Amino acid sequence: MTTAALVRDLGVALAPDRVRAGALELALYERDASMLTGQASVVCFPTSAGEVSAAVRVCRDHGRPFVPRGSGTGLAGGATPLGQVAPVVIVTTKMNKILEVDSEQRFAWVEPGVLNLDLSTAVAHLGLHFAPDPSSQQSCSVGGNVANNSGGPHCLLYGVTSAHVLAMEVVLADGSVVVLGGIDPEPEGLDLRGAFVGSEGTMGIATRIAVRLTPLPPCVATLLADFSTIHDAAAAVTGVIAAGIIPAALEMMDATIVEVVEAYVHAGFPTDAAAVLLVEVDGLRGGVDVCTSDVEAILKAHGAREVRVAADAAERAAWWKGRKSAFGAIARIAPSYYLHDCVIPRTRLVDVLDEVGRIASSRDLVLGNVFHAGDGNLHPLIVFDRRAPGVLEKVHEAGRKIIETCVAAGGSLSGEHGIGIEKREAMDLVFTEVDLEAQKWLRDAFDPEGRCNPEKILPRGGSRCGDISSLPPGAWV
Amino acid sequence: MTLRLDPDELAACVSCGLCLPHCPTYRATGEEMLSPRGRIAAMRAVDAGAGIDDAFDRMMQTCVQCRACETACPSAVPFGRLMERTRQELAPRSVPAWQRLGYKALGSHRSLVGLTVLGGAAQRAGLVPHALARRLALPKLPMRQARLVPTGVDVWLFTGCVMDAWQRRVHESSIEVLDALRVGVALPGPGAACCGALHVHAGLHDEAVRLAGRTMGAFPGTAPILVDSAGCGAALKDYGHLLGRAGAAAFSARVFDIHEWIASRADQLPPAIDGAPRRRIAIQDPCHLRHVQRADSHVRTVLRPYGELVELADEGRCCGAGGAYSVLQPELAGLIRTQKVAAISAVEADVVASANPGCSMWLGAAGVPIRHPMEIVADAAGLHRRRWRPGRDRKMSRWLASSGKFGSGWKR
Repeated sequence: MTTAALVRDLGVALAPDRVRAGALELALYERDASMLTGQASVVCFPTSAGEVSAAVRVCRDHGRPFVPRGSGTGLAGGATPLGQVAPVVIVTTKMNKILEVDSEQRFAWVEPGVLNLDLSTAVAHLGLHFAPDPSSQQSCSVGGNVANNSGGPHCLLYGVTSAHVLAMEVVLADGSVVVLGGIDPEPEGLDLRGAFVGSEGTMGIATRIAVRLTPLPPCVATLLADFSTIHDAAAAVTGVIAAGIIPAALEMMDATIVEVVEAYVHAGFPTDAAAVLLVEVDGLRGGVDVCTSDVEAILKAHGAREVRVAADAAERAAWWKGRKSAFGAIARIAPSYYLHDCVIPRTRLVDVLDEVGRIASSRDLVLGNVFHAGDGNLHPLIVFDRRAPGVLEKVHEAGRKIIETCVAAGGSLSGEHGIGIEKREAMDLVFTEVDLEAQKWLRDAFDPEGRCNPEKILPRGGSRCGDISSLPPGAWV
Repeated sequence: MTLRLDPDELAACVSCGLCLPHCPTYRATGEEMLSPRGRIAAMRAVDAGAGIDDAFDRMMQTCVQCRACETACPSAVPFGRLMERTRQELAPRSVPAWQRLGYKALGSHRSLVGLTVLGGAAQRAGLVPHALARRLALPKLPMRQARLVPTGVDVWLFTGCVMDAWQRRVHESSIEVLDALRVGVALPGPGAACCGALHVHAGLHDEAVRLAGRTMGAFPGTAPILVDSAGCGAALKDYGHLLGRAGAAAFSARVFDIHEWIASRADQLPPAIDGAPRRRIAIQDPCHLRHVQRADSHVRTVLRPYGELVELADEGRCCGAGGAYSVLQPELAGLIRTQKVAAISAVEADVVASANPGCSMWLGAAGVPIRHPMEIVADAAGLHRRRWRPGRDRKMSRWLASSGKFGSGWKR
């Protein structure tokens, strides 16, 4: 059936003015915050679960795949439309209401388009917040957090999104609406909620989400330590964890990153340091005081030149704003970046960071490191100008080497950004054929016809080990 | 046709999306077409040869040009410049004759005042159709206004177009506050009739340059030029860039937002009158004060002695007025205003302070009790009691008389 008929039927199912097929608008939905592009046939904006279900049914009737999309801040191409036929992009940004807040049982039902930070702001007067805090939290949606099982600096202590989602209402690939999980501590049956969180839109579209709300900590201390070598900073991270302290957050930024974020936030970051650590401890006042002095001693013992404690909430906010703006500030160096999201054992931080640095410098590439050091979730970021001749090949090669290095150190592919398109061809570096087959069965159980966000996560048939430069046709990095 | 934008400035957007929640049109709609990231992607497409169509034109014309995206952008994409340049290329196809006539009238103070009197008479005779009045968000236009009287030569006060024609009482308050600081105020001649800000926003570059040249001529000497309209202040401070001349940059360096200038002398401000109730003052940050002049903190410094300051929870998002925006894009502007009014009513303030005439008219038309910070200071310090007569200004008498909340009677 033609695209015109598809547009007409979607217009009947939703409203004609919320179904778009103009060339310019389609082009804006051909990518997310990654640099991998696809092609959409139609973009539509439902406002209710009923409309999402109706849109999915129209897609089924027309034999079209569909791609759910929230704010489009994903970094792995999860919302990039790919398929044998160009998919319909179903955008949830107009479903942005907080439906119910239960401050006694501490949960809230929200629509998927609610922004992560908006939710925390809306419940702050109750002394509560939504704990997962990805760096894009001001822009990213709760639905996107569910799809990617998003992390964030404070997930070191509080756990990633999956630990904060109680239940979801989901529209499945055939248009039926089901509820996975429940508010009760032990919902009946299999933990399908757990299977759905992190499925990157390949099992359906969440249309209502029950999230856990976490009390705001009574006392918080934030420390900023600067080091003259990355090596020392990495050793200090291992030292803190080895001492049995789990801070609320433990983040590292190297000199490349500190320079660009300081130019943006003017927060007083030491621009002459090789690396800085941002450590936050929270809890009851007494515990925070003890932890703060313990952490300070450990940092100093590992060669910190200076350890500062944020004087007030404004200084703390400025430090975090700097940390959370890092990716966006990269264009101050060069307009493109290629970023990995590997997680490695914390005991291997020192040697893996050294090796990653060598991989970049031996190819004359600029490398920045800004990452969740406390849980070993690296974000090595190669910064380049794609307009320079020959640079793409070097970037690809370095990216592949970085992944291989991390996997060889006992690491995994992704901590929080998801696999999407970007890392799917590296899946068989860490999973056996049997593992991948099992993942495919699970996905087929939810979406037997393969219409939900196709060509994501699982490697395409025939692809082999770590060939990440075999990006889809039309993709650019 | 291309936009001839600087490729490096366009390339500086890494599409991270951190601007999205700060953009008023994205907030109102959730659509990439109406977001800074989407608009930059579209500009890139046009400069790569995609051609300009109606969809592109609408994307650009629906931008309020609040420049909140610039404050939010970690990579410092100069979005305002890109948009002004784009509007300039689009102006021949996008700005119809009736709009050009309107922009022309702003530059001629005599016609503006004449039209104001005509409009005021029509309002009083009930001749202005309700729909038109709503779309223009006009206040009750004054038929007669007291002439402003200069008090000295220490500083200039920029008087401007609609502000002087419709809100001269703000200028009166500014002069009274400066008088209390023992600062003499000089007033410009008719050359300073319009700063040209709206012309820059509309892409009418040549007219903007003409008005800028004329305005500069109206402020001879070296005295500081104080501006009590945020949008005008931002425009005057940008003359160096607009005209690209050293003389213009030197002129811009003399320009201060009035709060910015007074804030460094805040310790000399007169005290609030004895026994006056301490009011809850909500601060509405005009975008061009917060994101362009970055002078929003000074308004707080100046107002702090006179009430309890209340911050809105929307991080200073735009109200939708945007110069001529509320007239040209009434539907989107209305959606944006609805969100702003919700943020204002959530804080239960007695009065809302806004340092920009466009915002105060647009929000005032929605029933928000809004005053210029200079008026609030002059009221609270009792600086214009001699001028004020009960019953002449109902809104002001209500504000002075009520000790309770304004909130209940607001229209949404």
